[in-house]
Amino acid sequence: MIEVGRLCIKIAGRDAGLKCVIVDVLDDKFVLIDGETRRRKCNILHLEPLKETIKIKKNASHESIKKEFETLGLKVMETKPKPKTDRPRKKRKTSEQLRTRKEEKKKLRDLFTRKKEEKVEEKVKENEGGSLEEKAGLVEEKKKTESKKDKKKDSKKEVKTVKKE
Amino acid sequence: MPEPYKRSRSLRRLQVKVPGGRISLHYRNRKPGKAECSNCSAVLKGVPRERSLKMHNMPKTKKRPQRPYGGNLCSRCMRSLIVGKARS
Repeated sequence: MIEVGRLCIKIAGRDAGLKCVIVDVLDDKFVLIDGETRRRKCNILHLEPLKETIKIKKNASHESIKKEFETLGLKVMETKPKPKTDRPRKKRKTSEQLRTRKEEKKKLRDLFTRKKEEKVEEKVKENEGGSLEEKAGLVEEKKKTESKKDKKKDSKKEVKTVKKE
Repeated sequence: MPEPYKRSRSLRRLQVKVPGGRISLHYRNRKPGKAECSNCSAVLKGVPRERSLKMHNMPKTKKRPQRPYGGNLCSRCMRSLIVGKARS
């Protein structure tokens, strides 16, 4: 019963109940099948042979089986081939790459140090410019706020006018 | 005296070791019965025994075997059914 071209029904696994054809007999236990099921190795015990046979060559291609199945009015399962991907491997960096990397890092370092210095300088300038006046104003304000909490704005104006005079 | 609902056996009891080292009794809802083959009433493998909420959150592929009649018939009954159809 088990021979190349024999139509079978698979009776185990996720493809159970689907029709297939024996493409190759591998040994006394296993066969290669194709058709409505996936193209795969299969145990003979997982197949229920039917009466019908198809004329195909041993190890026939998937496309030829597709043609045969279409004449019978059956659809063939198409499996997507896996995209070939290389195994991820670490590559050693060349000396030039290392050099360029170092230079880039140096540039970045310089940038950050410059920015920091600029910031510090700006802060110093701000503190120097008009610091005394502000301090004086604050002191006077505080004194006035203690006395008159309700009229803050007025007190500020008064301070300025006092200075001008 | 524990509360009445704890005295009945409608809840299952769990002995839980608490962080203090003492063993305390916890009460949980009972799990449903094991899934059975509708033909021969054998216990089905690959069908989890969980409450409905857990089953809801589980993916479909984890709830039953991926073959025709998976989760309803055992593999033997399914096989005999398919073979019978093929031979008839």
